Amino acid sequence: MAEIKWERDFETAIAKAKKEGKPVFHDFWFDG
Amino acid sequence: MNAGPYSDEKVQKFIEEEYVPLKSECFWKERTELMKQFDIAWTPTFLIQDFGGRVHRKLVGYIPVDDFLAQLKFGKGIVFFEKERHEEAAKRFRQVIEEHPNAGVAPEATFFLGVAEYKKTHEASALRRAYDTLTEKYPQSEWARRAQPYSAIPK
Repeated sequence: MAEIKWERDFETAIAKAKKEGKPVFHDFWFDG
Repeated sequence: MNAGPYSDEKVQKFIEEEYVPLKSECFWKERTELMKQFDIAWTPTFLIQDFGGRVHRKLVGYIPVDDFLAQLKFGKGIVFFEKERHEEAAKRFRQVIEEHPNAGVAPEATFFLGVAEYKKTHEASALRRAYDTLTEKYPQSEWARRAQPYSAIPK
């Protein structure tokens, strides 16, 4: 099963999105 | 942690192929800068953002798999729509309607499919089709009520 390779840094994700022409799916989560 | 929908292979594949996936952990005692920047008040919250960082969709709370997949597809559509890329937007909205007809976002996708087709072709009949479909398939939805002005457009 392929796992999702999550970015953890906002600026890195935005730069990658720009490069790849994709939107960002941003999950705000709480380990509560 | 909201692992729920992420354990589904279709969800994994769609996110991997169509989005840049980003996770930001929330801390309530001392809210993070990103929580403040995007007004995160509950978790999980999901944002669909373009590569400029602008938010095109904000979803709050747990979402079951079929609804989640539909929202992922709709989210791509709404990014295209808001960037005036109507053909690509229409393709995504159609995908939601055909593949997830029972998802919560399906009526909204039906509405926006009509608007995207109208903006692409300038044929008002696209709006009328949206109204007809909404009143037939989703008569109780808010989107059927929002499409009511299009009932005056000739078929």
